[in-house]
Amino acid sequence: MNLWPSAAARAASARCLVAPMLALSIALASVYWAFPEDLTAWRSTGIVAGWAGTALLVASLVLMVRETRLARLVGGLELSYRWHHRCGMLAYLLLLCHPLALALDAWAEAPPLAWQTLDPRAQSWPLWLGWAGLLLLMLGLAATFAVHLPYRRWRGFHFLLGGGVLLGLAHVYVLLGSEPLLLALLLIAALALGWRVLASDLGLAAHPYRVTQVEKPAAGMIEASLAPCAAALAVSPGQFVLAAFGDGISYHGCGEYHPFTVSGIDRQGRLRVCIKALGPCSQRLQEVEAGVLVHLEGPFGRFLDDPGSAAQLWIAGGIGITPFIAKLRAQACSQPTTLIYLYRDAVGAAFLEELAAAARDDPLFELLSDASGESLPDFERLLQQVSRLGEREVHLCGPQPLLAAISAALRQRGVGAAAIHFESFDFR
Amino acid sequence: MRQLFIAATAAFWLLLLGFASSDRWLPAVLEAPLPVADSQVHALSEVARHHTADDCWMAINGQVYDLSSYLPEHPSEPEVIVAWCGREASEAYRSKMKGRAHSARADRLLAAYRIATFKP
Repeated sequence: MNLWPSAAARAASARCLVAPMLALSIALASVYWAFPEDLTAWRSTGIVAGWAGTALLVASLVLMVRETRLARLVGGLELSYRWHHRCGMLAYLLLLCHPLALALDAWAEAPPLAWQTLDPRAQSWPLWLGWAGLLLLMLGLAATFAVHLPYRRWRGFHFLLGGGVLLGLAHVYVLLGSEPLLLALLLIAALALGWRVLASDLGLAAHPYRVTQVEKPAAGMIEASLAPCAAALAVSPGQFVLAAFGDGISYHGCGEYHPFTVSGIDRQGRLRVCIKALGPCSQRLQEVEAGVLVHLEGPFGRFLDDPGSAAQLWIAGGIGITPFIAKLRAQACSQPTTLIYLYRDAVGAAFLEELAAAARDDPLFELLSDASGESLPDFERLLQQVSRLGEREVHLCGPQPLLAAISAALRQRGVGAAAIHFESFDFR
Repeated sequence: MRQLFIAATAAFWLLLLGFASSDRWLPAVLEAPLPVADSQVHALSEVARHHTADDCWMAINGQVYDLSSYLPEHPSEPEVIVAWCGREASEAYRSKMKGRAHSARADRLLAAYRIATFKP
């Protein structure tokens, strides 16, 4: 067994560091440039917190950009969004410290001055801009963490954060004027926000496709075939696209971009995507019809990107079968591969017959299917049926609770964390 | 991360509330106004009437200063400092270019122009 990570694995590990290094570089450059001289400790803390927070907000905006090459550079869209969240949260904490540290500095001089430093009534509009920015960040983050909000409302509140960043930058600009570093931060923020809103949210950089066929492989799920209207996306099995479905003759699309894993790719660039009814938009999509125009962005994701030479274990839960069926449809297995397919009941299990046929035709492919009803599957029994489990690369796709339970069961049976691969597709 | 957000936001507002109500809970000796040369107290509305280069008052760190005669000697561009005439300028005074505060010499110079205590 080869204990050394492959070149692809090493490159993937290096890419994981790009996003934090980018954020750290912007923050350190800003703090270095603005580092105070001959000031009290609290005042210096306030200034450093303000600049570091502003820089991390700008880094957070960059990591929100939905662009294929940028996502690949930083190790995938999921990782990019994870660091977008972390940078935003850290920036918020630092920006909370900014006015408090300035107030403590005034407190050290004379306690009544502390509130005077903070009191908006004693200030003018340069500082009101700062307060307005901080309050928008607070409101936007409060909504961001309200995961039970309907998606559209959640997204609307999330845009408040962009407004908060702009007001914060305006606060610094009005106080300091056109300093080179500040102008650079403003430019980066404007480019990132502009790209996100124009190219991604309004779809100016999206690729037009048209729905050519709709099938229902299981209850509560459709598989839509999409043909490119212009240049086709170069998609690999295991990747996902962001798709916004438009209107048809008798179908009214919700027009929002949602991630869908590709379930089939042919040589003409036609794609198939599986859509399970999980929310209002995907529920409406169950009625989508041929002829509807779709805008696609992507592809994103590196799932199944580098299977290596080791034997494979694929574990799919429900709709999580999608990347694996795409891989099987694209090519026969090149190494021994076992697929454990977990679902509640046969009615809700897509592609069962196709998978069984693949298992009959491909001597390297083995299918273990299990209908567990409402309870968790018996992982112990299922994993006992997999030969040489510790030597396999394991790929998981399915709902988060199932992934957590399977990962724990695999670790208990001696599978290393580095051999377990999954993507969560949770972009809130 | 959600819990961190809630805890940090709550702590922020509690501290803000603490500062805002400091006049109620600070010891009486600290409630007394800072020593002043005279007993005059000016509000922001009064300071705001002196907002030109020829008649320039500023409220800085709880004191009111008449800087009209000093403006021609200030080293920066006139519009930088004139913009703060008639206003509460503590933040601007403490964070001049690149967030750096004025020097101790500037503090001593400023004291010479103090005319009253500021009442927010």
